[in-house]
Amino acid sequence: MFKVVWRALSRRRDWEQELHDEIRDHIAHRTADLIRAGLAPCEAARRARVEFGSAASLKELCREAHGLSWPSEVMQDLRYAWRMLGRNAGFTSIAVLSLALGIGVNIVVFGVINGILLRPLPVPDPDRIVSVARPSGTASQSFPNYGDIRDRNAVFESLFAYRFAAVGLETEGKAERTWGFLVTGNYFDGLGIRPALGRFFGANDTAAINESPWAVISYGCWRTRFGGDPKIVGRVVHINSYPYTIVGVAPPGFRGTEIFYSPEIWLPASMQPQIDGRSLLEARQSNTFWVAGRLKRGISIAQANSNLSVVAAQMASQFVADEGMRISVARPGLLGPVISNPIHAFAAGVMLLAGLVLLAACANLASLLAVRLADRHRELAIRISVGAGRARIARQLVTESIPIALLGAGLGCCIAVALLNALTRLRVSLDFPVQFDVTADWRVFLFSLLAAVAICIFLAIAPALYAWRTDPYQRLRAPDGPHHRWALRDVALAGQIALCCILVTASFVSLRGLAESLTMPLGIEPRGVAAAAFDLAPAGCRGSQVQAFQQRALEAIERIPGVASAAFCDTIPLYMDQSDTEVYSSGTTDLRPANGQQSYLYVVSPAFFRTVGTRLILGRNFTRHDNANTPPVAIVNETFARQILGGANQVGSFFRHGPLVQVVGIVEDGKYQELAEEARPAFFVPILQHPNTSVIAIARTTRPERQVAAEMRTAVQNLDPRIPVYDTSGLNDLLGFTYLPVRAAVISLGTFGLLAILLSITGIYGVAAYSVSRRQREIAIRTAIGARRYHVLRQILGRTGIFVLIGCFAGLAFGMGASRVLASIVYQATPRDPLVIIAVVLTMGAVGIGAGYRPARRALVLDPAEVLRQD
Amino acid sequence: MEATNVLPGTLDLLILKALSLGPLYGYAVLLRIEEISGRALDIEQGALYPALYRLERRGWIETEWGQSENNRRTKYYKLTTPGRKQLREQTDSWHRMVSAMAAALGARTSEV
Repeated sequence: MFKVVWRALSRRRDWEQELHDEIRDHIAHRTADLIRAGLAPCEAARRARVEFGSAASLKELCREAHGLSWPSEVMQDLRYAWRMLGRNAGFTSIAVLSLALGIGVNIVVFGVINGILLRPLPVPDPDRIVSVARPSGTASQSFPNYGDIRDRNAVFESLFAYRFAAVGLETEGKAERTWGFLVTGNYFDGLGIRPALGRFFGANDTAAINESPWAVISYGCWRTRFGGDPKIVGRVVHINSYPYTIVGVAPPGFRGTEIFYSPEIWLPASMQPQIDGRSLLEARQSNTFWVAGRLKRGISIAQANSNLSVVAAQMASQFVADEGMRISVARPGLLGPVISNPIHAFAAGVMLLAGLVLLAACANLASLLAVRLADRHRELAIRISVGAGRARIARQLVTESIPIALLGAGLGCCIAVALLNALTRLRVSLDFPVQFDVTADWRVFLFSLLAAVAICIFLAIAPALYAWRTDPYQRLRAPDGPHHRWALRDVALAGQIALCCILVTASFVSLRGLAESLTMPLGIEPRGVAAAAFDLAPAGCRGSQVQAFQQRALEAIERIPGVASAAFCDTIPLYMDQSDTEVYSSGTTDLRPANGQQSYLYVVSPAFFRTVGTRLILGRNFTRHDNANTPPVAIVNETFARQILGGANQVGSFFRHGPLVQVVGIVEDGKYQELAEEARPAFFVPILQHPNTSVIAIARTTRPERQVAAEMRTAVQNLDPRIPVYDTSGLNDLLGFTYLPVRAAVISLGTFGLLAILLSITGIYGVAAYSVSRRQREIAIRTAIGARRYHVLRQILGRTGIFVLIGCFAGLAFGMGASRVLASIVYQATPRDPLVIIAVVLTMGAVGIGAGYRPARRALVLDPAEVLRQD
Repeated sequence: MEATNVLPGTLDLLILKALSLGPLYGYAVLLRIEEISGRALDIEQGALYPALYRLERRGWIETEWGQSENNRRTKYYKLTTPGRKQLREQTDSWHRMVSAMAAALGARTSEV
């Protein structure tokens, strides 16, 4: 490339030299002729020159007539552009920086979307891998259902199932909680990947239930937990205190089919009863496996869906538990449409707003460029008068804006790639290994390149129009430039303010959403609660040992100084993992799903409500005596009482969850799965009637929560050091996941809003400062002949002000209209909120005044005598 | 006889004609045109070179190096085959236009 340019440049130098020589010879010949005709030599030379005309403009015409080879031409323009940019370092840095930020946020947003939604799975032929999901509700399937779908469908080459599992992996005598998948034997074959080391287990060596103790570990697990041991294959490790043989290591980068999760271990699904302590392999009603598979070659999504609906209809008529069953294929990676649809909507909304930021940055730059163009009127007039054609000028101006676009895009790309890498490394402090791989790949770079090209074109339009539209001769006559009613800079300014206003509205809406979700009644009071989770199964603790150990642990936690009350539960409302179940009114005899109702289920110990801060409205709390020897009891929430028991005051009545269960108390409603949900029924059962090896211990305390949580870990591990304790933190931190969507909205929209404000300030300031400086003389004259300064100011800045106002109103109107887009990003928040409107108006007012203050001040303190003397 | 400015667009044709009589350097092209037009056409000297470069870019003429009368290394222009064809075509169309113009301008009321 360099060589080509260099050769072109030297060729170009030769060409210029030849042209120069040719003109010199011409004049020499002419002079000789004139002397021959009788003129004195010096007079002849002068005449020859005059007749010939301006050599400079002639050369320019010759260059144009000849047409330059592109490298030299572009190089020449670029050199000139570089000089111009260097001369206006302030302008250049503002332009480049604002563009870099505008393009940077777009690349980041696109990078995240790319990582989460666009990037195919790292397996051969990823397009044929789809997940089988229910279109609504929980997308997972029971294991028997999986088997039936696998055997009855005609469209899948292979259909596999997997279940998220946390196991205690023992290395060096210590069990560590490790997340992985329980997978059917055809999982690795179906995905078509090859192991980095050893082999994968397959369908034929995993058929025997509880007798297929094989494990495949992830590449990362092999490196970190086993130090990259080259003899790892064949090594026996203890998992939940049972021996397993590591048969292989997965290839680097393979993380299963769920993109937000990084599993460390894969175990055969046939080992599920041993791992979980109870079998889920025969229970048709518990939807605990996720199903995905590889479509046969040439099968379309529509064909797959129609085949699956036939299968579902057969199963629905055959099994009571499958009544009303509907299944369809979905893109794998995000646990089915219930979760992925809102994510798609969120992503689309944020991408749209990010695009608006970029548009605002471009509008800002366009108005600044237009202002600068007007400032350079004289220079351009001179260039035209020495013979530069319109096309030449347009090309020059376009070339000047291209380095800005390229520098901005390059810088923005660097910032974005760094941010994306940081985001990928980010670990949410949760027990569950949430990790998104959003590192930039070729798609991100292609996107950046396309954005840069689009910006170049956008920025080139204004100067090209400018050079094309105006008549060069008119320009010489009116050195101040043409006065259009609708100057480009004004339109660009108004557009930019409108965009800014939309983005500011969006960021206030998201803030409002955050404020609302933070003050929303949750049904629990997470502040002041410390939590620590532990699981007894990995340490091999079973049967009656479980409850005895849990009781001792509870007592140890209660002894920690500053703990007011302590309790256990299987999970906490709004925590990641919620379970729901079918319940029936006491009169129901036909126990099919269609006759039941879905309700959240929590297994809790007696002091749970006091500790977590849920108000008991009626009845009593659980006690020690609600145990395996007494009749089953439950405490329900208000919605449960109303919808399933048929009234608010129903303490003592019964409902059916397996056996008949008596309601002993009613507690206030809360949020269980997410903040945006409607009131849903929930019921709580005593842990002594429903033993569970995996529990979360919670303690209400007045001391710092994390400190207490750490002491809770010590208290449990003092009882048995083999027990893995995880999720030790304040409850507020653990529920951070719940606030993730609204936080993500505030961070992204807040950033957009701030950027838009910064852009607006530079835009308004640029245009206002330009108006004042260009009309200094006019201001001076008006002031000198006695005009009031206020009137002068109105004259000078009124126009800019009007355009800013037009922009504001348009933006506010658009912002209101965009409530649908915003609703996809922020729950329960609308731009029609009066507080939001007031905040937007105040902010835009402050932006306008702040940006206009200095130029206005300059106009006011202008000394007329001085200005008039200058000219 | 007073010299006339050349009509726009006819300079190219004149240059092609001049070069069809033999290769010439820049100034000599000018002299040749003056000569063959019987000094009736006055060509602005500056306009010659852009026209030459334009014709060169179109491939109708090409350059070669030679010695001028005063023994300097000089760039000579000469007609190419496409240039010769171009000259023929332009000459024909020029003749057609001239006769059409003559007919039009010589028209009398009785002929209309």
